[in-house]
Amino acid sequence: MTLLQVRHLAVRLRERTLVSDIDLDLASGESLALVGESGSGKSITARAILGILPPGLQASGKVMIDDILVDGKPELTRPLRGSVAAMLMQDPFTMLNPLRRIGPQLADSLPRAARRGEASRRDIAARLEEVGLEPAVAKRFPFQLSGGMRQRAALAASLMRNPKLFIADEPTTALDVTTQREVLRLIGRLKQERGMGFLLITHDLRVAFSVCDAVVVFYAGRIVEAGSAEKIRASSEHPYTQALLAAEPPVTGRAHVLHAVAGSVPRHDDVLNECAFAGRCQWATDACRSGSPVLREIRPGHFSACLLAGDLSARHVQFPQTGPSEAIERSVSQPVLRIEELSKTYRGTRTAAVSAVSLTVGQGEAVGVVGSSGSGKTTLARCVVGLESPSTGKITLVDSDVTSWTRLDAARRRELRRLVQMVFQDPYSSLNPARTIGATLREVLSAMGQPSDSKNVNDLLDLVQLPPSYALRRPTTLSGGERQRVAIARALAGRPSLLVCDEPVSALDVSVQAQILGLLNRLRAELDMSLLFIAHDLAVVRQVCDYVYVMQSGEVVESGLTAAILTDPRHGYTKALIASVPRDDRSWLDG
Amino acid sequence: MSAKLWMGFILRRLGASTAVVLILSFGIFGLLYIAPGSIVLTLLGTRPASRQTIAAVRAEYHLNEPFFLQYLHWLDNAVHGNLGTSIQSGGRVLPSIAARFPLTLEVVLYGSIIAVGAGIPLGIWAALRRGRGTDQVITAGAVAAVGAPSFAVGLLLLLVFAVDFNWFPVYGTGQGFFSTIWHLTLPALALGLASMGLIVRFTRAAMARELSQDYIVFAQARGLSRMQVTSYALRNSLVPVLTASGLILTSTLSATVMVETTFALPGLGTLLVNSVTFKDVPVVQAVALLLTLLITVINLLVDVTYALADPRILFTRQGE
Amino acid sequence: MSVAEVSVLRSSEARQARWPAPLVVVSLIIVVLGFTSAIFSSVIVPNAEQQNLLLGIQQPGWHHLLGTDELGRDVLSLLIAGSRTSVLGPLVIAIGSMVIGNIVGLLSGYFGGWVDSLAMRWVDVMFSLPALLVAIVVTGIAGSSYAVALIVLIVLFSPGDARVVRGAVLDQRHRPYIEAARLSNLSSKRIMTLHLWPNIAPIALANGFLDFAFALVSLASLSFLGLGVGPGSPDWGRTLSNNMGLLQSNAWAAAAPGIAIILMAAAMNVLGDWVYERLEARGLAQ
Repeated sequence: MTLLQVRHLAVRLRERTLVSDIDLDLASGESLALVGESGSGKSITARAILGILPPGLQASGKVMIDDILVDGKPELTRPLRGSVAAMLMQDPFTMLNPLRRIGPQLADSLPRAARRGEASRRDIAARLEEVGLEPAVAKRFPFQLSGGMRQRAALAASLMRNPKLFIADEPTTALDVTTQREVLRLIGRLKQERGMGFLLITHDLRVAFSVCDAVVVFYAGRIVEAGSAEKIRASSEHPYTQALLAAEPPVTGRAHVLHAVAGSVPRHDDVLNECAFAGRCQWATDACRSGSPVLREIRPGHFSACLLAGDLSARHVQFPQTGPSEAIERSVSQPVLRIEELSKTYRGTRTAAVSAVSLTVGQGEAVGVVGSSGSGKTTLARCVVGLESPSTGKITLVDSDVTSWTRLDAARRRELRRLVQMVFQDPYSSLNPARTIGATLREVLSAMGQPSDSKNVNDLLDLVQLPPSYALRRPTTLSGGERQRVAIARALAGRPSLLVCDEPVSALDVSVQAQILGLLNRLRAELDMSLLFIAHDLAVVRQVCDYVYVMQSGEVVESGLTAAILTDPRHGYTKALIASVPRDDRSWLDG
Repeated sequence: MSAKLWMGFILRRLGASTAVVLILSFGIFGLLYIAPGSIVLTLLGTRPASRQTIAAVRAEYHLNEPFFLQYLHWLDNAVHGNLGTSIQSGGRVLPSIAARFPLTLEVVLYGSIIAVGAGIPLGIWAALRRGRGTDQVITAGAVAAVGAPSFAVGLLLLLVFAVDFNWFPVYGTGQGFFSTIWHLTLPALALGLASMGLIVRFTRAAMARELSQDYIVFAQARGLSRMQVTSYALRNSLVPVLTASGLILTSTLSATVMVETTFALPGLGTLLVNSVTFKDVPVVQAVALLLTLLITVINLLVDVTYALADPRILFTRQGE
Repeated sequence: MSVAEVSVLRSSEARQARWPAPLVVVSLIIVVLGFTSAIFSSVIVPNAEQQNLLLGIQQPGWHHLLGTDELGRDVLSLLIAGSRTSVLGPLVIAIGSMVIGNIVGLLSGYFGGWVDSLAMRWVDVMFSLPALLVAIVVTGIAGSSYAVALIVLIVLFSPGDARVVRGAVLDQRHRPYIEAARLSNLSSKRIMTLHLWPNIAPIALANGFLDFAFALVSLASLSFLGLGVGPGSPDWGRTLSNNMGLLQSNAWAAAAPGIAIILMAAAMNVLGDWVYERLEARGLAQ
């Protein structure tokens, strides 16, 4: 019985088309993943199906939910929402009504008669238990719950009327890395128990493979590949899917080359009469650029929109090959950075953000600090560069004591700033929107005592593989990956000995992530620079760092050579972190 | 929410309010010293300046003592209800204030009811129809209203409704409930119009902001009815709107001065203006003190209402 | 002293209106007219105050488009003459308030600590006072002069600007591009002026327009009550007050300045919104 049938769905914003030609099928009890990077149109598609597009967007095409024709029209979908189809959104921190207690919010989904009274209280308590929350949560406000708990509460709220079709939009992206697996497991279990049809939206192919039966890959507002998870994993028939798989950093080893695809996801209307991926594809032919390829069945149940499908299997490396390029021993003779027993407690809080952490980074070494949010890793990084000051402990940079940057005299501080610089997590707010790239770089160059002529600016841009013309552009015209490159270039202006990177790739799409990681590796080698790399993703850390410290709740719980720690973790938390990296099959969730 | 949290919150606010009132009372007292010319002459007003009268004034106002002690004397008197003697009339200040207070209160309340009663629904309507014709008209009207000074509006209202159409009386306050309402309608309208403009704009903005939040989309996605969704947005946006209304009340108090003058109503406003023009300092100080107290109380009530509606505030320290 | 969002009157949120182009153009015309007559009034109507007692009050006609007042003076000419104090005064107040408010807001938001606490206490106390009442009381008692009125209003309006700017600074301060600027050895002064301020300019400038509108109303209110400008001044508020008794004979004598005030304030309001929208669209920091 077809629960969901979509044919030729398109979504437009005034004259711009955002997605086109979307066909989907989902039967009761099945699970389908919509996979794509940001801007690929997967979320818009889901919202169009339910008729909850943002104002100004129009949907067209045929949509049938549970054999009822709705065509994405709000007035037709409204009666079905909640009772037949429901959606869980991405951000648990904004999804719930902040000024309403959990219990009443859940009760709001019920018909008016059932909202009050003892029976409804018991019902709500039962629902909360179903998602792993205690009944007492019903009396709390969302701001009193953690992200994971809020997500569970929202999950319970969306399932109140027992819908047959459940849509989850990136349900774990905003959550702590260790919570992700639990929430996905919970969703999987609920799906099983209730026999729901499940539509999962995610940017992570590995998550898609481990949770869903079938996968649909989105690119630039179109479907480029569709089929069962097994088939696609075994032998993908579209260069983009392969590129995505190849760009995922493996946690099992360091990739020789992380396959990075130059450029970024284009908008639907920018690639109209050609294959959307042709501009970035290494096998693109003229035929690929002369017309938009149609999605066709390559093998039974396996569709691809690539003209070369069927011929590709021999041409590529499916997964990054790993090899012994990792360090097997460590000798730190002259540490560039030495942290001794550093602790930091913020004013007004009782628990320490960082507690007695000791750490060293050698000359030319890349050291990783891994942990989930709240582990103290970011605080640590900020203390090293001077954006925070430690409560106790000592930080030595090359030969100088920089424990308290504010107490250094201005001249000394200026000198030392040339030794260490920082790259931040969010590329979209890392650059001053009011200034051109060139102006920003010139300013930094002159502040670092370097000549600020255009030759130097171009050299910096060249270091991060950006053309000189970028100097005249403003940040808003650049993509996330490009902005991060500029941020790195800025940090390199004074040729620092140590580059502190605070989650430099977490906010980037996978294919872009690979570019930046490759860039950092290259820069480290070329400039003989040390790296202090902060991340929550062990797989990412493995691609860059030889040595890693694992932090939990402010303390270092384990440290050692990356390869050693990842193949033989000792501490429970490290093991949990490793387990939380998605593997690409069912075993990840079951194990 | 726990009683202890509330207690702490209210005590903190009370403490802060008292501090503000004291600081301001100090400033109000100091008004005496900014009058040009000699203080004694100011205090004498139109009375002849002979050695006796000067000595009497010096004694009555403790002018021989240091500044701070004078302030304390004045404060002490004020707290005990002795607000001094009017230089102009020679009568005691407190009774004359008490006599005029009810009228001012009536006009202010009437005007606020109009402002809030019409402003909030209009703002909500504009937000629900945002971007469309209704919204544009309402918002344009609100902008014009905000910029319009109450005396100009009062004048235009007088012109149109009292002089041309003769629907309302031009002057007078009326006896009895209904007559009073009829007489005070034009002043109340003049008073309320500017506030109404602000309330409309603010309500619309708050409501529109809530309607674009994620929790509204999620509510729609899980099947809440249109009424339920609108009431989510409404309830959450009333918090900033209530606050705004409370604060608009305080700016209405100043507009009252203008409106009373335009319509020649014998209220606190005209009293203030007359005594300021005449440099009748004790009266000015008394009225100013009263208004400060009133405003502080209103602000306090606004804070409490805000905390009632948004419990998150109880957990934060003030104003962050 | 309120926990709640005190900057109601200046909340940038209340500013999200998208005005249709014709309205913006009309507002621009009104403002240009207002400023032109303000600056050039002595050239346009050099004899505005000329009395013609024989003429007395006249209804609008060809010679006197808005009629005359009881002293035979042309109402339209007086209106133009009065624009000088009525329009330039608020300009001075808006600029003064913006300068003080922006400086205090920047310093307070950027440095935090005791500077911030002190500044915010000052703002809180000032916000407890209704500006107009304070202006009336102080101007009245200190001897009503135009300069005193301007100074008092500047002092009363600047906390509003300070609060708005401080809010915007706090918004931007922790963003990576500012932190990176700090790490790049740039001086605080440079960061505040070249990095922070351009990104908060939309709000700061739009607020300046709002300041002007409120200053216009406040100043007119003061002169209506006989405070601020001198007795013979053709200031709009003053004229309105003087001519209230003429409602029956030539209503325009009083209505014209009233309408002028309303139009000018509304026009500046609309322009303020438009400026904000334009600057924000240039992609400055959200």
